[in-house]
Amino acid sequence: MSRHHHLVLIGINHTTAPIEVRERLAIPAGRLADATRTLVHQPGIREGLILSTCNRVELLTLQEDGSAPGANLLQFLHEYFAITPATITPHIYEYREREAVRHLFRVASSLDSMVVGEPQILGQVKESYTVAREVGAVSGSLDTLIQRAFTVAKKVRSETQIGSSSVSIASVAVDLARKIFGTLQGKTVLLVGAGKMSELAARHLIQQGASNILVANRTLERAERIATQFNGQVIPFDELYDQAARADIVITSTGAPQKLFGRSHGQHFLQSRRNRPMFFIDIAVPRDVDPRMNEVEGCFVYDIDDLQQVAAANLADRGREADAAETIVTREVDKYQERLQALDASPAIRSLQEHAEALRQAELRRSAARLSGLTADQQAAVEALTRALTNKFLHAPMTALREAAREGDVRALAELESLYTNNSRNKPDSSGRQ
Amino acid sequence: MSLLWLRVAVLLYGVAALAVLPAALYERPTWNRIAIPAAVAGMLFHFVSLAEMLNAAHHRLPVDTHETQALLGLLLAAAFLIVYWRYKTVSLGVFVLPISFLLGLVPAFRPGQESTPFPQFHTGWIFLHIALLLAAYAALLLSLLASMLYLIQERSLKSKHAAPGAQWLPPLETTDQIALRSLLFGLPCMTAGLLIGSLIAQQTIGPSYFLDPKVLLSFAMWLAYVGMIYIRRHSGLRGRRAIYLSGFVFLVVLAVWSANQFSVVHRFTTP
Repeated sequence: MSRHHHLVLIGINHTTAPIEVRERLAIPAGRLADATRTLVHQPGIREGLILSTCNRVELLTLQEDGSAPGANLLQFLHEYFAITPATITPHIYEYREREAVRHLFRVASSLDSMVVGEPQILGQVKESYTVAREVGAVSGSLDTLIQRAFTVAKKVRSETQIGSSSVSIASVAVDLARKIFGTLQGKTVLLVGAGKMSELAARHLIQQGASNILVANRTLERAERIATQFNGQVIPFDELYDQAARADIVITSTGAPQKLFGRSHGQHFLQSRRNRPMFFIDIAVPRDVDPRMNEVEGCFVYDIDDLQQVAAANLADRGREADAAETIVTREVDKYQERLQALDASPAIRSLQEHAEALRQAELRRSAARLSGLTADQQAAVEALTRALTNKFLHAPMTALREAAREGDVRALAELESLYTNNSRNKPDSSGRQ
Repeated sequence: MSLLWLRVAVLLYGVAALAVLPAALYERPTWNRIAIPAAVAGMLFHFVSLAEMLNAAHHRLPVDTHETQALLGLLLAAAFLIVYWRYKTVSLGVFVLPISFLLGLVPAFRPGQESTPFPQFHTGWIFLHIALLLAAYAALLLSLLASMLYLIQERSLKSKHAAPGAQWLPPLETTDQIALRSLLFGLPCMTAGLLIGSLIAQQTIGPSYFLDPKVLLSFAMWLAYVGMIYIRRHSGLRGRRAIYLSGFVFLVVLAVWSANQFSVVHRFTTP
């Protein structure tokens, strides 16, 4: 981070720790503020943020020079969670400075997630940040870094297609429905049979606006239970073919050995719907819908294999987009580090300029008596001359300071600083003597 | 001056037509930031050009073939922007913007010199007649394009490719709405345009005007247009068959358009 503070991140995630370990370190939302407060009260920790999700627990800290970074964080984990270091140490990863920045950017951009490109992680990082700000755990450099992480994540979302495709069966079904119907507001969904997958798909469709749910099941009690769950309406199974045309989307998942819907059913439904499209999501194995129904104009039939194929292709697409996203992250890390290092030279440059100006003013005061005979124009010329000379003398050391900062050459930066700014502590007196 | 604005407009249509390609086909929505402002600016310049031309209407009206084409281009660009504003899709721009560009290209760089043979035609009513009929043609063309997009999207969804559904196209119901609403908008325009034309013809030429093949074809076109809307409305015709129907009516429109060459009384050049 700076030459006086160090950025340190430690954590565990789904790739380094099994669920048994992750659940012992998980922090519920209600305790996050307390945990963050406790973290920043650890010796040597200046600022801190805790990210706790079902797949990761990470501590991002800005630590004072001379502290024992890493060790104090392990100590915190040990004390706060009452867990022995031996239990967690094998699963812990630790990143410092540039690598910590990179990791944070990757996490916020969902490149380190179990399902790459999933959108929830950014919201979770934002929640952690809000809590950390509320308890005063982030304020300065860490605040700037986290804000930057949000910007990078947004950039990754807008410049790549990393999150644009669905990778679960249920969300693929919703995506397809939206390609057919546009908005799902007011659409009618018919659930034929009962199954976890079909209920999940129905739930997704309802979340997207589908409002009328019809349920048909051979067992009436089961149909009623599902209908109650979705605030829907039960259709007697023997009226299925009369009522099915009411539905825009039909989800089938019965255990029937024979196909429930054939091609002729599709033609009949479309006729009674005046050719308004129908979408059949056939999750049953063996299938409930004759695949030849897909040949009927206006009928769209997707079985479980079709949906899985789409999900797998989308996942592969995300992998390709992730490469582009990694490039963006690397570029942003470079930019952030450059800016940070350039900023780091600012105090030294400012100090150097102040010292030079003080010397110039002192010299002018010393010569004030001899210059008193000059006209106003001549005095202005002397003023301009001394200022120009000072600036020219300062140009080389200031350039060297900026260069050293940009290259991260801490040693050169320190030497230049001591060489040019040591004298600033010996302020010149009014006569110009130091 | 109106020619200069028209040239600027055509140039902007060209920019919009190019920018809409990556926006729609490569799913790069950032290109919309070029395509939409360019189309809006093109339409504004086009409108200014038209307004200046009308200002000088006591000399000439936009009734020569090229100027009429340019006006059709303006209406198509406006239709594209309305569809974008209403449905947030630029897919139609892939087809509509190049058509606007091409329709404006010739009048902008090789303006026609023909004028109507009858001085009494130089009235605002003639312009209204032309504008309304062009609006109806533009609506029909838009409807035809939307029906084609519907068919492409339908085929893509049925093919069950790894990524089913053409990503650059709007949902089926949206394209269907665009197609139908365009037709519904076009019908009153066509009806009013033909009525105004008939009244002017009655006053200036007399009943013999209505025996002209161009005029007869125009009324056949109106009947076909009404029939198409009726069928689409009442049978919910979509997809392939809707394209056939729109395509047929569009052919009738083209026949009406080209009948100017054979008509004795209804043509842009002096007979």
